[in-house]
Amino acid sequence: MSEKTQKETPIIIKMLNEPRPIPRRVPDYMRKKGGAWYWTGAMVMVAFLYEVITGLVILMYYQPSQAYTSTENFVNSVPFGSLILTTHLYGAYMMIVLVYVHLLRNLFVAAYKKPRMMQWLTGVLLLALTVGIGFFGYSMSGDVLSADATDVGTGIARGIPFIGNYLSLIFFGDGTPISLFHRMLGWHIVLAAGIGILFLGHFIMAEYNSIMPSHREANYKAPAIDEEKPEYKPWYPHNLLYMLEIGMLTLAAILIITSVVAALGSAVPALFSPFPQVSPSSPLAQNVPAYPPWFLLFVYKAVDFSFMAGPGPFYATLIFAGIPVMYLLLLPYLDRSPSLKLTDRPITFGLAILGVIFFISLSAWGALTPGVAIPTPQVLAFFLFPILTVLPLVYYLSRNYQKSGMDARHFTQLALSLSFLGLSGFGLGMLIDALVRTRNPVYYIPSVVMAMVVALLVTLVAYTIWDSKHAAERKASRPISRRMRNTLGGAFTLGAFIIVTVIQPFSATSTFQEALFGIGIGVVFLIAAANLKLYRSVVLEE
Amino acid sequence: MTEETNREILEVEDPSRRTFLKYMTVAAFAAASAGALRVTLQNIIPKSAGITGFPQLLLVDSTSGKPISTSDLKVNDSAVVSFDYPLQGEPNFLLRMGDAGGNDVKVSSVKVSIPASGSSFQSPAGVGPYGSVVASSAICEHLGCVPPIIHFYKPGTSIPNGPSASQNTGLIHCNCHGSTYDPGKGFGIVTGPTQKPLPNVALKYDKASDQYYAVSMVGPTIYGHSSDLSGGNPLPSNSQTGVSTQSA
Repeated sequence: MSEKTQKETPIIIKMLNEPRPIPRRVPDYMRKKGGAWYWTGAMVMVAFLYEVITGLVILMYYQPSQAYTSTENFVNSVPFGSLILTTHLYGAYMMIVLVYVHLLRNLFVAAYKKPRMMQWLTGVLLLALTVGIGFFGYSMSGDVLSADATDVGTGIARGIPFIGNYLSLIFFGDGTPISLFHRMLGWHIVLAAGIGILFLGHFIMAEYNSIMPSHREANYKAPAIDEEKPEYKPWYPHNLLYMLEIGMLTLAAILIITSVVAALGSAVPALFSPFPQVSPSSPLAQNVPAYPPWFLLFVYKAVDFSFMAGPGPFYATLIFAGIPVMYLLLLPYLDRSPSLKLTDRPITFGLAILGVIFFISLSAWGALTPGVAIPTPQVLAFFLFPILTVLPLVYYLSRNYQKSGMDARHFTQLALSLSFLGLSGFGLGMLIDALVRTRNPVYYIPSVVMAMVVALLVTLVAYTIWDSKHAAERKASRPISRRMRNTLGGAFTLGAFIIVTVIQPFSATSTFQEALFGIGIGVVFLIAAANLKLYRSVVLEE
Repeated sequence: MTEETNREILEVEDPSRRTFLKYMTVAAFAAASAGALRVTLQNIIPKSAGITGFPQLLLVDSTSGKPISTSDLKVNDSAVVSFDYPLQGEPNFLLRMGDAGGNDVKVSSVKVSIPASGSSFQSPAGVGPYGSVVASSAICEHLGCVPPIIHFYKPGTSIPNGPSASQNTGLIHCNCHGSTYDPGKGFGIVTGPTQKPLPNVALKYDKASDQYYAVSMVGPTIYGHSSDLSGGNPLPSNSQTGVSTQSA
């Protein structure tokens, strides 16, 4: 088919008229070191499947008519309820983080360029749906944080001109608590179905467009298509086993991280606690700061900006969340050049770094000073300083990168670490200034932490520069012998059996012992992944 | 290949007739979808629960059921004393205002401005033997935080992230985002980010029996409601509402 018709025919019609086999075979480098970057989408899918399964279990117990008591009952009295609910929450957090990682990775490798525009657009919509479903899920427990989140959600919905009242009725019900929790449960499930359907489309498009090949394979030009080559290995066993390995690692991460946090118990601040907080009518409720879920903290801080007080929370959301989403939706049409190189798109690159910086620092700001109004000059400084440092820096580095003789990986690493170094240095300066002037000990620990971050980043910059000069001399590490790998696999499996046996007597209704149980299962998943890796290296020689 | 065959089939026909038919089909689909959309939308928008007019409700103690008398209310009580009115889930503060020395202070009717809309309203004066008992919605008008996160601070006490002890003449402060209201001046705004004062409850005092009634709401609409009378279940009784005390 000619280049011209390819441009004119929408991808949906092409997919219907010229179907291609699913799944396609993929190049070997996707399963080598660093190949995990090609599987970030698969990790999101595993997290989503985990959410669906645990969600269906919780659905058997959740009662919208008594949201808080049924949630507390599930955590405290239903066997393994605490493990399932906490991992459902943290699995959702993990899914959101992975969605952001997937988005940034594809932004950096320019996967939004032709022919993947429609795929990118469905991806941005999936991000919005994921954050939306997260909001409803978070609000369903009926605890004080969920009550605060619902109040803010209702406020934002009502603030929408003309249709606000109707939207609030549709999403939050007729105003009675039963109706509220019933609607939220309904929307939580509707959005899960929506994500499933849209994800299927996103996935089929990804298969149709082929994987985004490495830049070298694509000759650094869009359209980057991976033409299937005869030497590609069959899907089974090579890819299936690799994907299982990735899946096991994702599950292990969800189980272990959640269970470690759960085992720490009340030492974890409310913002990251995996357990429901107190009921909103409890006298203790006033000790719980009114935090939204962490993935919405950035909007929460924007509501505090003095100039947003008049327009209200809906317009704050529109500006600080709506504009970035609009930008992402328009990105394939704004950046139309065929080049895939980061250095050829310094503005996209710089804006991506700024996006990460603003997202993280606005969230941290929201967590540290919840509800404290911020005067406009301070807001301007907050936004202008990174913009005026990062954009020129990235632009300068991009222009001079050819001369430096660095490769793309080192360049990316250097630009990223320098950007964050600049920002952390500024933050450290502010903290030390505050410490010296106020002599308030609250600034002491953040100063030390920030100094450590700065030191780490300085090391990273120095190492990147050193490494870029010595990259050629590096030699491959010696592989472990085949016999050693067999012995290791045996030992791992024995360890897994021991762990599974040891955790059996743990109580299924004690939140602490359930957390230990979760760590045990997580480690067993890790062992399964390690054994798969050993098997692949011995039998498939990968 | 398939593309070209398609095009050939389509092009044998008279092009104008083909275009006409295409638009007609699209229009028919649009009409069908509009019909289906109306069914879905009208179905999923619930009728807001509520009542048709403000009831006059006697304030009674929620545990004992006895009517609240002046002596049941402490001057500058730092506990959260609240009652639902006019619907369930619409909590209101019940305050007996006093000075730093604990003496009743008469609250007079003032003009309270609403910066959000640029309008204003006349607040109801305090009632009771000393004219010191006032009530307002306990749902913060900024983002809907409820007690105990929002509550009354005695005169002369300092407010975290709010007005200092010397500026505090007995204020309501919300710890969610720092909005402060003055119950002595019609629950008007002392500090933002709120752009609306708290909705006032008009109270009635019966001198002979020493009893208090909630009569209606004055001022902006209660937060999170399209009107004060909708967005919640009616109270269980149409003659009284329970006052509960919660230490803050």
